[in-house]
Parts: sequence; C-alpha cells; structure tokens
Amino acid sequence: MAGDPRVQDILDRALADIAGARSTSALEQVRVRVLGRSGELTALLRGLGKVPAADRPRFGQEVNRAKEDLEAELAARLVALKAEEHRQALQAQRLDLTLPGRAIPPGAVHPLVQVQDEIIEIFGGLGFSVAEGPEVETDYYNFAALNFPDDHPARDMQDTFHLSADTLLRTHTSPVQIRTMKAQRPPVRYIFPGKTYRRDADTTHSPMFHQVEGLAVDTNISMGDLKGTLELFAREMFGPGVSIRFRPSFFPFTEPSAEVDVSCFGCGGSGCRLCKQSGWLEILGSGMVHPNVLRNVGYDPEQVTGWAFGMGVERVAMLKYRIDDIRLFFENDLRFLGQFAS
Amino acid sequence: MKISYRWLLEFVETDLPPAQIADRLVNAGIEVASLSPLVEGLSGVVVGEIEAIERDLGVTAAGHHIRLCRVAVPGKTFSVICGAPNAAPGLRTAFAPPGATLPGGRAVKAAKIRGTVSEGLLCSEKELGIGDDEDGILELAADAPLGAALIQYLGLDDTILEIEITPNRPDALSIVGVAREVAALTRAPFRFPQITVREGETEAASLAAVEILDPDLCPRYAARVIGGLTVKPSPPWLAQRLRAVGLRPINNLVDVTNYVLWEMGQPLHAFDYDTIAEHGIVVRRARPGERLRTLDGQDRALSSDMLMICDPERSVAVGGVMGGGATEVTPTTTTVLLESAYFNPGSVRRTSRALGLHTDAAYRFERGADIEGLREALDRAAQLMADLGGGTVARGVIDVYPSPRPRPRVTLRRARIERVIGACPPQEEIVRILQTLGFAVDDSGEELQAVVPSFRRDIVQEDDLVEEVIRVWGYDKIPSTLPRGGQLRPVSHPPDLLISRAVTRALTDAGLSQAITYAFVDPGRLKAMGWDAPESLIALQNPISIERSVLRPALAPGLLEVVALNASHQIPDVRAFEIGHTFAPRREEDGDRPAHEELWLGVIMTGQRAPRVWHASRERVDVYDIKGAAELALHAAGTKPVEVVPYEAGQGPRYLEQGRGAALLSGGREVGRFGEVALAVREAFDLPAPVFLAELSLTALLALPRETIQYQPLPRFPAVQRDLALVVPAEVTAGEVEAVIRGMKLPLLRQLTLFDVYEGDQIGAGRRSLAWSLTYQAPDRTLTDREVNELHARIVAEIGRRFRAEVRGA
Repeated sequence: MAGDPRVQDILDRALADIAGARSTSALEQVRVRVLGRSGELTALLRGLGKVPAADRPRFGQEVNRAKEDLEAELAARLVALKAEEHRQALQAQRLDLTLPGRAIPPGAVHPLVQVQDEIIEIFGGLGFSVAEGPEVETDYYNFAALNFPDDHPARDMQDTFHLSADTLLRTHTSPVQIRTMKAQRPPVRYIFPGKTYRRDADTTHSPMFHQVEGLAVDTNISMGDLKGTLELFAREMFGPGVSIRFRPSFFPFTEPSAEVDVSCFGCGGSGCRLCKQSGWLEILGSGMVHPNVLRNVGYDPEQVTGWAFGMGVERVAMLKYRIDDIRLFFENDLRFLGQFAS
Repeated sequence: MKISYRWLLEFVETDLPPAQIADRLVNAGIEVASLSPLVEGLSGVVVGEIEAIERDLGVTAAGHHIRLCRVAVPGKTFSVICGAPNAAPGLRTAFAPPGATLPGGRAVKAAKIRGTVSEGLLCSEKELGIGDDEDGILELAADAPLGAALIQYLGLDDTILEIEITPNRPDALSIVGVAREVAALTRAPFRFPQITVREGETEAASLAAVEILDPDLCPRYAARVIGGLTVKPSPPWLAQRLRAVGLRPINNLVDVTNYVLWEMGQPLHAFDYDTIAEHGIVVRRARPGERLRTLDGQDRALSSDMLMICDPERSVAVGGVMGGGATEVTPTTTTVLLESAYFNPGSVRRTSRALGLHTDAAYRFERGADIEGLREALDRAAQLMADLGGGTVARGVIDVYPSPRPRPRVTLRRARIERVIGACPPQEEIVRILQTLGFAVDDSGEELQAVVPSFRRDIVQEDDLVEEVIRVWGYDKIPSTLPRGGQLRPVSHPPDLLISRAVTRALTDAGLSQAITYAFVDPGRLKAMGWDAPESLIALQNPISIERSVLRPALAPGLLEVVALNASHQIPDVRAFEIGHTFAPRREEDGDRPAHEELWLGVIMTGQRAPRVWHASRERVDVYDIKGAAELALHAAGTKPVEVVPYEAGQGPRYLEQGRGAALLSGGREVGRFGEVALAVREAFDLPAPVFLAELSLTALLALPRETIQYQPLPRFPAVQRDLALVVPAEVTAGEVEAVIRGMKLPLLRQLTLFDVYEGDQIGAGRRSLAWSLTYQAPDRTLTDREVNELHARIVAEIGRRFRAEVRGA
C-alpha cells in the first residue's frame, strides 16, 4: 500500500533540506518548519480528525514514523554541523602555542637557607632536634664555658667582634650547646644552626656567616660513633660515593679534636680545582666534648661522654654550587638569588 | 713557622723524604701549609776562584770598575766580566758558567759586553736567590772545594716545611720540638742536642746578680755572663740557617739568640753587660709613669701590670716581649749578660697586646715556654756565643727559681681510651708513644701513670693523654660505628624556625626572593632613617668598617641596601624579603641574654609588579602590594587577623612617608607595619623610584594566640548577593565604612567584599565611590527577598546616617 502523498512529500522535502542545511541555525529553521508548533507535519497531525476513521490509525502511524525519521535525521545532522561549526570556530581563533605561558614567577629561598635546611633535615632523620640561641653573647657562653682560658692565644683562633668588655657577637654556635646542656640532662642530641661572626673578610671569609653545629651526649658514646655519624651525613649530603678522613686538630672545647675531610665529590678524590688537587675537602671540625666543658654544664665526664661537630654553611654551599666568592651570599643580587629558585 | 729539613735531621735519625715527613705531621695534627725547596731555579753554579784580573774594561756610570777576570775550576779557566768591587785575585766565589740557571729562570750564556766576551757570571747573594746582598759577589772560604756544586757546598739543598702549630702546642714551635714529634710518629731515634759549656775561671755570681720581685709574673730567671767577645758577622753556615727559616742575620751574638730560639724554642735576650747599672737585674712590675725606649726605637708608656726587666736604676726590657734600646748589643759590645727566663703567659699576652708588640718571643711566652728546658737553651747559646765571638763563659749560672714547679702525674686507663675512642691500641704501643713524646711512664700498677714533661703544659688530665696516644697511633684506626641504644625522643624544632619556614615558603611561592643581609649597618644611614638616640643602638667596639659598625635595630636598612645594590646592577624591580634578628639593649625579660633580640620579617618592593610580558600591561608596585605581602605572611604565620591602623601625623617610624604607612596591631600592641619609604630615606640610599616596606615581628606573632583551623558546616540554603555602592567624602576610609557595617552585628550578613574603588571626574573632586558585594545567608532556611531587602535597607540607612554618603543604585 502506497503511503500518503502529502506525508511523503513533506518527508522528501525535509530530508533534502536537512541534508542541504549549512549551519545549525538553518537546520533549526527546517525543524521549525516541519516539526514546530505550526510545522507542516504538526499540521497534518492536527488535521487527523478530518481523516476518515478507517484511515486514521494508518495515517497517524505514517505521520509519526515520518516524524521519528526526521528527528533522527535532524539529530544526526546537528552533531555533524556542530562539529563542523566548532572546527571552524577553532580555526578562526588561531593559537600560537609557542608563546610563553602566563608566568607564575617563582621566588627563591636563599641558598644558605636551603643548605641549612638540608643539613637539619638529614640530622632530623637521625633523631637530632634543633635548638637556637642569641647572636649577642657573653664571654662566658662563647669562651669561658667552652674551655677557652682568659688571656689564652686559643682566643685568637676566632677573631671576635666585641660589644663591651663582657659581650660579643658569638664566634660560633657553640654557646647554644652550653645553654642547651645547662637546661637539660643527658641524653642530648641536637643540632644548632645560626648566624656567627668573626672579624675576617675576603673571598672565602665573611664577617657574618652561618654554622650548623651538632652535639650528642649520652652514657655510651665514642669517637667511633662520631666518625660513623659524620660518614652517614657526608654520604647523604654529598653523594653515596664519598668517604671521610679524620685529622688531629685542636679546639679548646673538644678532646680529642679532629678536622674532617670529605673526599672530593668534584673529582672522586683524584684531584681537581675544587679540592686544589688534594682529593679532599675540609668541611668540618669535630671532637669529643672536653671533660671541662661537661663539668661546666654540670655533667659528670665519668658518667657521660659526648661528641660535637661544626661546619660552615657557606663553605658547604660554595662547594655544592661551585661559588667562588662568599660575598655573593650577602649582596643579594637578584640574578644570583634567582638561580636558586625551585 | 719555617722548618729546615736538614736542620731537623740533626735531631731525628730518619731517611724519610720531606714529603713523607709532612704527611706524618699532618696526620698527627701539625698542619703543613707548604713544602718547597730552599733555593728555587738555581742549577749549574759551582765554586770558582778568581786566578787573576786580566784587564780593566772601564768604569760604569755608577763608578764601578768593570774587569775581566780569569776564573778557574779544576781543569779549566774562563774569562768572566765582573763589576763587583770585591772581585780580587784569590777569591773563591759563586761561578755560573754558560749553561747554568739562576732563580727566576735566567739562563747563563756567553755574552759580549763592551766588545769582550764573558764566559759566564760571578754571582752575588741576591743573584743566587739566597740573600739580600747585591753589593758584591759571594765570598766563599779559601778552602771551598773548587768545582763543587754551590748548592751542596752551602747546604742549600734543603727543603723548607711551613708548618702551622695550634696554640696548645708551644713545644712544637722549634726544630727540636718538631723532631721529637717526627721521632714519635716514625719510630726514628730522637737525638737531643749535645750541650757542653766550657766555663772560664771567673764566677758569674761575682759578675752579676738577679733579683725577682714579682715571681707571679716571672717564676724563673736564669742568666750567664760571657766576656771577651768580638761582635762580627755570623759565619756562613749560621747566617744561611737563619735565612733559610726567614730570619735576617744581624751579628754573631744576636744571631745566636735567634738560632737557639728557633732550634730549642726558648726565647733568649742578650744585654750588653756594661750598660747594666751595677750589673744587677731586677725583675719587677713597671712603676707608675715609667717609660722605656724599646729596641725598635719606640718610646713606650708602661702600665703597672707590665713585667719589666730592670737594673737598679731603670727598666731595660719589657719582660718576654722586647728589649730596650739602651742595653742592646752593639758592635762594641764585649761582654754579654744572657737572659733565659720563664714569664707568665697571660701577663706576656696582655702586655704584648697592650703595646701592640707581637714578637717571636712574646708569641712563645704567651703560649708557654719550657720552665725546665730554659737552662739547656741558655747553655747552648752561651757556648755558641763564646765559640763565635772568641769569648769565655763565666763559671756557673745565676738561676733564680724560687718555687720549682712539680711535674704532674696523670693516670691513663685502657678502659677510658676504649670508652672515649671506641678502640684502644695495645698496651706496649701506648707506653712507646708516651715515652717517645717525652713522658716518663710507670706501667707497673693497675693503671698507667705518666709524668708530664715540663714542655707539655697542655697535658693536665686523662683525656689529654688519650688524645696524645690516639693522635700518634693514627686517627685512621678509629672505627666507624653508630650510636647504640639510647632512648627514643621526638625530634623538636624551635618555634622561631617553624614560623620562619612557613613565612619563607609562602613568600617565595608568591614570587619574592629571600635575602640575607649583614647584621651590622651604617650608623650614618640609621641616623638618616630616624635613629638618633645612640643609647638605643648597640655598637661594635672593633668593626670592620664604619659602614658595618652598629647592630641593626630593624631589617629596613639592610633591605634598602638590597634595593640599592640591585639598582646599581641595572635591576630596578625588586620584590624581596629577609627574616632575621634585630638588636636592642637588654631588657628585663631577656634573662641571661646580654641583648634584646627579636626575630623579624622585612619585605621590600620597588619597580614593576611583574616582568615585562606579552599578556599583561606593566604596573608599578604600590602600597597595596606590600600590604598584601604582609597579609600573606600573617596568614602563613597562623596569626588571627590583625588591626590595620594608619599612622597619624607624627606617628610611626620616620623612615615611612607621613600619611603613607600603617601599624599592624594585635591586642593594641604593634606587631608590624607597612608603608611607603620616606623620600629623604630613599635619597640617603640613592633610590630614585618609590619603595614600599613591610615589617613584622615574628617574635611578637609567636606570642599571640594561634589561629587554629576549625571546620564550619557548609551552608545548605542559597545565598543572596546584593551590591552596595556609595559615594562618600574622600577622607572616609573603606575601613571605617566596614567597621560600621560589622558593628551592626547582623548574623545573616555572611560576607562583605569591597570590589570597586573609583575617584575621578564622574563623581567630582573630594569624593570617592566605594562598592561592596554583600552576601546574605541563613543556616536554616532560604531567605526571602523581603527579608534581604529589609536588612540591606537597614545597612544603607545606617551608612547614610553615619557618613555623608550617597547611595547609588540601592
């Protein structure tokens, strides 16, 4: 049975127009014309009452099928046209993806703070707490309690800035060791970061510089433990391949005392500019806490022993970053600081 | 200190080369700074004799005759031109034939001078690099072997070790002392110098007397008298030794004192005996107003705590520091009173510093000389003087030593070594080490006893011996272990460190760079910034320079220097901060801390807000940037919101521009501030562009209650937004308006956000427009339009009543 010619006609024209629509708005016009409230197909449905009763179900089915077909066609065509229109829109607004991104410029943590934090971090992992203390100190905390006798040339080892007869800028962070030990009983495991001052200025000495010192006091602690701990530190800080070497030295507050060299991480120990061809880098001073110092803080050297070490943060940073002039740290040229942004 | 390898070998029997000796010393705690041949670049120079002067070639401009000499070496003669006035037939001298090289890389060749060929060169000390004399050619002994290599003949085939001795080891400040170390380190035999004195008939005690009035500063004073002397230059071997270690030869008597000082470490002083009144030495403190002209020609004012060597009439030397000019050895001296004494180290140090006289003698005395060894040094020097000056040593020593110092005995337990070191050498090794270092060891009992030699003042307790044993045994034998057992304790960080880290992270993430500036600043600049009360500042007594002479009372001066430095490096845009201590005189709350230190944050900004980029227009930073940074830091520090109170005229620090700064208050206390830097200050730092500064006391923030995060239930009912746009007189601040609105305490008003500020033609001069977005919300229901309208109208009415405000679009 042939379909109703009016339905077929609407369907044919609408399909042709859908196929021919060049934009989503043209497609919408087609939809409105055919399926809208007063569209051609809608009108046919409205006129269903006028169709003879016998033909009504078939005619109704026919119109509805045509409507479904058209809706499917419209939907499919709409997807295609939207995609095309999006493509054209993108093409219209061309991008230059080589342009620099909208920068979120990073600031830089000062390299000395970075190195200091790294040292704190490593010793934190080994169970060392952090303590700080004043930068203006008394002669007692900076020297006398640390076994520097009055009028002794050992005091010349640390050229001191004096503020008055009895007060000075601390020449090392060791006074914080005294303050910490006086405030608590052993066991003690601390590191002491901070600013220190000595009257000395050239490309490798700054009148203000930074130290990190460490201290461990317990009932059963030896110079061997000092060596092992510093070895561990050196490998964390400078790489798993480095080794360390102890050389006898003299500090009034330790006995025995040792200078600690780390095998040069620039050349692996064969000699280079960094280590001045020696294969070793002098990094730390250390030793067993002098019995007089333990007595000065009220500890009994027969009951407890301890070790201490100290290093210059600038020295470590200069080696690590190959910086050859210590003054760069305190000039704060932004081109210098910016190199340490992360 | 310079050590001659050859000289060293006189006292230690070793064939180890210098480099290996240096290595052993370094590994035992004696730093060797350098190792170098005594004479560098000298080769091929031999002993030659001027057989005859062949011809005079004329006179130079300087008036010297130039002569052609016939120089002989075994089996050959050379014609050599020489201008030295001392060139004479029969003289044996240094001859550099063609092919020889002289220091500085100078190669000797046959050369034509004034038309005559010279086959080589006769050399002066200076040309050979072995001394300063350039007035004539080197004069050698008549029996100097012809043709012998000069370096070997003069003993110049030597190596100089430049060593650094730590202040605890004055005993190693001598050739003998280093030799003792080398012996202990290498197990080579140590040979103490053989000293014998051939004394004359006359008793020294009949020739001179010594009296010590202040034995606390001079516990021992010994002297000898040597007569019949002739002052003359030292023989070449002695002069050469002194030069090798960097000392200048003067004459035979003075040189002997220096020689023995270097060899044995004991400073000696030679007085011209005939200049000492009554030939009597009195050792006493200086008298009030006393003065002395020292050897260096300076007239010195003395203070009464200085120890003087005197005769009955006057002082003749500063004890242990320097002799006096009036009693020094001169070319006419024939009799010497030779002093060998022990002076109190602290006293010598104070005196030498007070007088600014840092002599070799003072250097040793302040570290501690050998109170027992001074007799041997005296004998050695006396005999050498007699030998070299053709004189006689008087019989006996005048030795005043009222209370001989006992040698301490120190116990050493193996268990102690084990405990301190974590290892212990075998017992016989411990005994050997101590013995070779000069200790008398008694190992018969349970515990080893060591008698400390008089030259080791640094050894007083057991751990001192532990160090000695381990140092010589070898630090490389210390095991590498890790601390065992012990209690577990939580690792703690001080609040200062934690707040610094939090603020640093926030500010660097926001693009600011962290600076570290010197803690000492320029008082001139401080004055320009408004610090005009010196009593509020702490000054250094011995600054590096006046620009770094006062401890910073604030971070502002250092940060302004950062801007200035970058400006001078063509970097006009700066956004930086510093966290550090400021310093002020001690306050009650500081306890046993000698100054008042506070941890501060300083932030500084100048120039453009962002670098020049394609996606943004360039804008200068302004005061709101610096305020934003301060707010970010406060937030990072975990501080509850603080009050911002603009400074009234005359308030606030002088380095902030009037009316362009505000205080940050918490609980009425100023915890910080921000603002624009005053023009006068900018000019003092030479900064052309506006600069903005914020300062926050992190110490003060730490004392404030902390903002703890507490969860608020999320609103379940919709919010309603209304805008409030006002035109107000220009002097009305946004803060005042907000304070009024907040003061109404409307619980349904959840948020108040200023979103627009306008001043300009559209609203006329003297007025500004401010616009807020207000968010209304109820926790338990959806607000009706009517409710919101009513609330909003109340706010508008209140604002209208309080300010001459015109509400727009309400």
